[in-house]
Amino acid sequence: MNRLTMPWDVVRFELRRSFTPARMAMWLVLVAFPIAIIATMRTIANAHLADKLDPADFVEPFGVTLYFLVPEVTCLLGLLLWATPAISTEIEGQTWVYLALRRSGRRMVLFGKYLTAVIWTLSAALVAISASVFLIGTDVMLRMWLVMSALAVLSCLAHAAIFLLIGVVFYRRTMVAAVLYTMVVEYGLSFVPALVNKFTVNYRLRGLLATWMGWEDVRSNAENIFGSEPVSTHLLVLAAITITLLGAALYRVENAEYPTQQEG
Amino acid sequence: MIELNHVSKMYGNVVGVNDLTLRLPMGAYGLIGPNGSGKTTLINLLIGHFRPTIGSLRVLDTSPSSDRQLLRRIGLCPASDVLYPNVSALEWVQYQIRLHGIPRRDCRRLAETALEIVDMTDAMRRPMGTYSLGMRQRTKIAQAIAHQPDLLILDEPYNGLDPVGRNDMTRMLRDWTQSGRGLIFASHVLQEIESVTPSFLLIHGGRLLASGTAAEIESILADTPQEVRLVGKDVAKLIHRLADVDWVESLQLNHVKHELKVSLREPIEFYRQISTWIRDDNLVIEQLRTPDGNLEAVFESLLRRHRGDVT
Repeated sequence: MNRLTMPWDVVRFELRRSFTPARMAMWLVLVAFPIAIIATMRTIANAHLADKLDPADFVEPFGVTLYFLVPEVTCLLGLLLWATPAISTEIEGQTWVYLALRRSGRRMVLFGKYLTAVIWTLSAALVAISASVFLIGTDVMLRMWLVMSALAVLSCLAHAAIFLLIGVVFYRRTMVAAVLYTMVVEYGLSFVPALVNKFTVNYRLRGLLATWMGWEDVRSNAENIFGSEPVSTHLLVLAAITITLLGAALYRVENAEYPTQQEG
Repeated sequence: MIELNHVSKMYGNVVGVNDLTLRLPMGAYGLIGPNGSGKTTLINLLIGHFRPTIGSLRVLDTSPSSDRQLLRRIGLCPASDVLYPNVSALEWVQYQIRLHGIPRRDCRRLAETALEIVDMTDAMRRPMGTYSLGMRQRTKIAQAIAHQPDLLILDEPYNGLDPVGRNDMTRMLRDWTQSGRGLIFASHVLQEIESVTPSFLLIHGGRLLASGTAAEIESILADTPQEVRLVGKDVAKLIHRLADVDWVESLQLNHVKHELKVSLREPIEFYRQISTWIRDDNLVIEQLRTPDGNLEAVFESLLRRHRGDVT
């Protein structure tokens, strides 16, 4: 029990030290920008269609946009800022040695930082989804909210594990490596109609989006983008990616010899 | 307490520590060496943060890199500063102890006790961003002793402390030593270590050059080639004396003939003879500058001896 609660103590400490104006501002930006885009789209739709407006017609375009803005962009940006530098900030701040010296320091701190990154990013994502779904205002609001929230949870868990591993391996050029990964894999390879896109998180999330929202037309028109596998396959692959990469990060951090300071 | 068996640590092609063999029983030891000498690398090896490239080591009868339980028995105060601006010393020290797996209910009590020992009780609830360098240094010491380790390793612990703080720190370290627990104290200032323990380890270029008490090291130095400087209006008159003996390696008189640099092969002979010559020849010599005031020169002398450049 003592060890089980330790990651939560790390989360508590990390959250406590994170309540800085800069971090709060970043959180607000992550929340505000999808809402602003959805609000703008809704305003334009209202202005152009006026009394012919049928909210049911906008479920798919608004849904796809919201999916792209929150479970993809907001979650990826938030995790880039939170999960990727988990170790590099400690190394640059020369505080890594204090953590590495603790009996449970390395793994517990990394796992705690993983949970913190997920909690912090997910909180922004859920607020953004809630406000955006309310603004879209369709008759499937609850379903859209549930699906987007579930996708945000899965996105945060999987992407946090990926960025954490990148941060643990490339501790010197962490952000460069993570941005490169995001651009090349999640926004490049995930759209390539080949076997390789099936190993990307975004492909799996898009597949779940189409299935859970019941968008069979969308899926049949773009099967390479939305996939045709059952929900269980998508969830299994996402779980495998998350567990494997998180495990690899925890293994790596336990055995890494990071620099502690200028050698004296 | 510590056993190193031909330990070397390489960073790529750079040698961190080089073939260290050492056996230290429980006690207090000063680890002295100039910046870049390998002190921090050695400390990182002792806490298991680094694994030796070659050789093996044991700390408190176990291997630090494979036995994480050992870390519960070691307290380290690294030289690097710590700054979590909006976290208090109490929160930070509590967090550090918690990471040792100590139950949550005990962490607060242990943290408060440690912060009291380093005289931080009044400020321990303030954010660390408001602390002076000395207060942060005290907080670092508190996190090192809070979980009551058997071996305390301090890297430059006097950094940032004012005279009162230094005095308190010295007293605390003496108490620690007297309690029978282990202490490794790294510094590049001899006097800091001397005030806590008479036992030294001299490290330079990643090599252990000498170990023992101050008196033992002095006797090693007495037999180690070194350079001395004589200052005074009659220094040139000593040249004929020094030129005749085989334990002088070289002589160098400055252009105003007021300072004579003597490179000695056997310093002990020099110290035996010099006062007699000055008295017999009735010379005016104002200063005799030995390498004692220049630690780097002492290390260089010991390094030459260690390499076998001289016997």
